[in-house]
Amino acid sequence: MNDDAYEGARLDKSDVVLKTTGLEKAFGGLVATDSVSIEVQRGTITGMIGPNGAGKSTLFNLISGFYENDAGHVTVNGEDVTDLEPHERARKGLVRTFQTPRRLEGMSVREAMLVGPGPQKGESIFSLFFSGSDVTEEERANIEQTRELLERFEIGHLIDQPSTDLSGGQMKLVELARAFTTNPDILLLDEPVAGVNPTLANDIKRFIRELNEEGQTFLIIEHDMPFIMDLADPIIVLDQGKVLMEGSPDEVRSDDRVIEAYLGGAGP
Amino acid sequence: MSAVSSWVSETLVRDATERRIFATLGLITVLLVVGVLTGVIGPRFLLFQIALVGMYALLSLGLNVQWGYAGLINFSVAAFWGIGAYCAALLTAPNSPLGLGLHPVFGFLAAIVVSAFIAVLIGIPTLRLREDYLAIASLGLAEVIRAIILNEDQWTAGSSGISGIPELLSWLPLTDAATTAAVVVFLIAVVYLFLRRVHRSPWGRVLRTIRSDEDLAKALGKNTYQFKMQAFVIGSVIMAIAGAFYAHLNLYIDPSDLVPLTTFYIWIAVILGGTGSNRGAVVGAAVVIAIREGTRFLNDIGFIQTLGVDLAPLRLLFVGGLIILIMRFRQDGLLPPKDELIWPAARDGSGAGGASASGAAPDGGTSSNGGDDR
Repeated sequence: MNDDAYEGARLDKSDVVLKTTGLEKAFGGLVATDSVSIEVQRGTITGMIGPNGAGKSTLFNLISGFYENDAGHVTVNGEDVTDLEPHERARKGLVRTFQTPRRLEGMSVREAMLVGPGPQKGESIFSLFFSGSDVTEEERANIEQTRELLERFEIGHLIDQPSTDLSGGQMKLVELARAFTTNPDILLLDEPVAGVNPTLANDIKRFIRELNEEGQTFLIIEHDMPFIMDLADPIIVLDQGKVLMEGSPDEVRSDDRVIEAYLGGAGP
Repeated sequence: MSAVSSWVSETLVRDATERRIFATLGLITVLLVVGVLTGVIGPRFLLFQIALVGMYALLSLGLNVQWGYAGLINFSVAAFWGIGAYCAALLTAPNSPLGLGLHPVFGFLAAIVVSAFIAVLIGIPTLRLREDYLAIASLGLAEVIRAIILNEDQWTAGSSGISGIPELLSWLPLTDAATTAAVVVFLIAVVYLFLRRVHRSPWGRVLRTIRSDEDLAKALGKNTYQFKMQAFVIGSVIMAIAGAFYAHLNLYIDPSDLVPLTTFYIWIAVILGGTGSNRGAVVGAAVVIAIREGTRFLNDIGFIQTLGVDLAPLRLLFVGGLIILIMRFRQDGLLPPKDELIWPAARDGSGAGGASASGAAPDGGTSSNGGDDR
């Protein structure tokens, strides 16, 4: 595909939560992210698709700060966060989940959930000794929120389970619920239904949509086409580290360049 | 008495296997008391051993904060212990190279301050990196500290060591052995209660998350570097306190104990007791020291003498064999952590924090009782 085919993302949105300008990252000679500029509008579920190796996960790592970029900027709510550490970006409202969540060994689901809210008073040793009652109050509220959220996600019965005993799909649900407890401005989900059975995948879709209707903004990487086409609008298509195009699911579906990218340059 | 036993069964014992472990420990205690009463074991010797076990328990508690809570691999346990011991010895012994002869309180204070400072120094470059870097740097630190103490004789008296360290609280109406035993029990109680409070809290929970998946903790907005630094400093300070205590127990200190073997005894104690568990750290230390000190006397037993084998030098072999057995039959250690790390006061009738009730499980099953993690 020649370079003219790369139309890039739409950069004229209003009320932008997350914006990248000219993000670049190379691993040795391989350019994994090539001048990527995207915008995510508040209140949307923005999808991100692309063939394997298109650079989706690298872009997520750059946005969330786990990789250092070679060039470009990331802004959250208009504030430049390019130089911030991952945890600082999270506190600015940019929270991500991982493609393959590691199990939290030795933790119950309740504990695993309670790590989410933050920063908590009880995370300071000083407060543990000198303002114990504040810690108690906050902890009670967080436990209550955990219970409600798990019930809402229809996994309330798992609250006492060791988190290592959960199925892949249940783990993804817990991850989603936990990420939500951080009260993020934008949630980046990395393949939320990879390896999840269809019933649970439908549940996850329903919960994401519900949270979105309440105002939560999402940016979602997903390989499952029916899932993402049904859920997201707009959808950004990445190919070979660049933004190929952005559009509604229908536009993406009928775009020749997208088809070509997925089928691997079969056309003339 | 029944109040004590019910406290033990409610707060310490969590399942049937643990009940057996505590029963065994109780039996050993009874045997030791009988041994003292019948004159087989000298009370002074026993009290000295208690103080020694207590010191190792402190070291294990310190390492447990670092490795058990936060997953930090620290191979310089002996170095922090030595820093504590030398701070105490240098400041309090009248004939040390500094010749100050200060009150022991200043020795302990210096041990805390110096160890915290060195922990921060070693933590700054390593705790931002992957966990193996701390392991490598701490191995180096252990040797550096030992070499400095050994070679800078004008400050540390080098290999000739420092003697004349004063006893603690000599005005107490107890024998010196009883006093040191009482002091170590007091130190363990203070450290244990401190750790219990900070561990079962949002703070301890973040450390447990870091241990499993540091990236996740970062993604949730936790400053993992800062949490790891806190755990590293707290653990190192506890080790230094143990060292300062040892100086006043042994009344003499030289660099020969600052060898890697001391560090690995503590690692064995923590793993044996149950990584991440404070109870386990104390019990693990007691078991390791019991084997190490107990096997000294193997050759004195008549039955073994008739075998014509010299068993005492095989002490390390016994420790190794025990570890293999434990790892085979009880992978998570003798007393693995059981608590959900939730602020105890926030657990209430609404079903939160079922862990407190889990002691009732009659069959030791963990899958069925709420809140238990392995």
